[in-house]
Amino acid sequence: MSHTHKPGDGGAERHAAPMVEEITDFEVLEIAVRELAIEHGLFTAEDHRRFTEWTESIGPAAGSRLVAKAWIDPAFKARVMEDAVRACKEIGIDWAEPTGFGTPSDYMNLRVLEDTPTLHHVIVCTLCSCYPRPLLGMSPEWYRTTNYRRRLVRWPRQVLAEFGLILPPEVELRVEDSNQKCRFMVLPVQPEGTENWTEQQLAQIVTRDCMIGVALPRPGRTADIHPVQKARRPVQSSEHSGEPAHEHDK
Amino acid sequence: MSKSKPLKKSPRTTGHARFKVGDRVRVKDLPNLFYSRTQMYVRGVVGTIAACTYQDVIPEDEAFNRDGRLEQYYIIRFRQKDLWPEYPFDNDTVQTESPERWLEPAEK
Repeated sequence: MSHTHKPGDGGAERHAAPMVEEITDFEVLEIAVRELAIEHGLFTAEDHRRFTEWTESIGPAAGSRLVAKAWIDPAFKARVMEDAVRACKEIGIDWAEPTGFGTPSDYMNLRVLEDTPTLHHVIVCTLCSCYPRPLLGMSPEWYRTTNYRRRLVRWPRQVLAEFGLILPPEVELRVEDSNQKCRFMVLPVQPEGTENWTEQQLAQIVTRDCMIGVALPRPGRTADIHPVQKARRPVQSSEHSGEPAHEHDK
Repeated sequence: MSKSKPLKKSPRTTGHARFKVGDRVRVKDLPNLFYSRTQMYVRGVVGTIAACTYQDVIPEDEAFNRDGRLEQYYIIRFRQKDLWPEYPFDNDTVQTESPERWLEPAEK
């Protein structure tokens, strides 16, 4: 934050007013360590920028491929359940890339949680935001909030209902807290009506939220659909179309 | 849940896991010395070993870059009703992970 003086303003301080006043200790620490590493030649600022751009561009497509392949290939599914990190290599994801020790996955332990018609998994990290980043990319904003992290363990069905997912009481809801070094993703049940679909078609309906466990895959709802809807203004109802409200995908 | 892998031989490991899948364990309510990843909501609660995951240094050492011994980690399954008695759905469960030192055998 720099203080600038405008000629003729009598020396009054003028600020570029920040939206957030405080910087956390951890942000200060990150900057300090990064600048030291650059000074010592461990990597360059350009390297750091490229790595950041890469980690932020991973996205959930690899996870969708893994689920689709597991649905149509029982032998692959068995390998996923046996050693998920190794099975990831078959779909082109090496958890050790690019450093050799697991960045950006933090730890190279992945367990895939298989849903059944009577068991539904949902993942959370109550401590912070642990997430299977090599497969799903960066975690969604809401996944990192204290609201989600606190409430998913204590009131999981209510939280899922807020995502539009209401599970029957007879289904066991299993919350997986990734509070140590395992990372988790959900293998949902293949939905009815997709029996003869190709792997590519199936991958389209396995959205990020399905692999976290806050949504279920459904024929017709794909990652490519933008949930753009006009907000209805109850007061100014002249443009009211009369159509039923569509489901809002978070 | 996938089956547990054989433990890697390491001079810093004890070489064997004290618990196996299906064992009933209670999470100890130890004091937090500077750092822990053992959640308060499972302290003192009895659960079931759902998986033997890996051996690694414990968070209490790792947070301070101490080269402690490797320890077996487990995924433990708890009934929601055991965590919060007023929880309304009998079948629902929560799983967390813990290193061995936080666990003690519990009666069946």
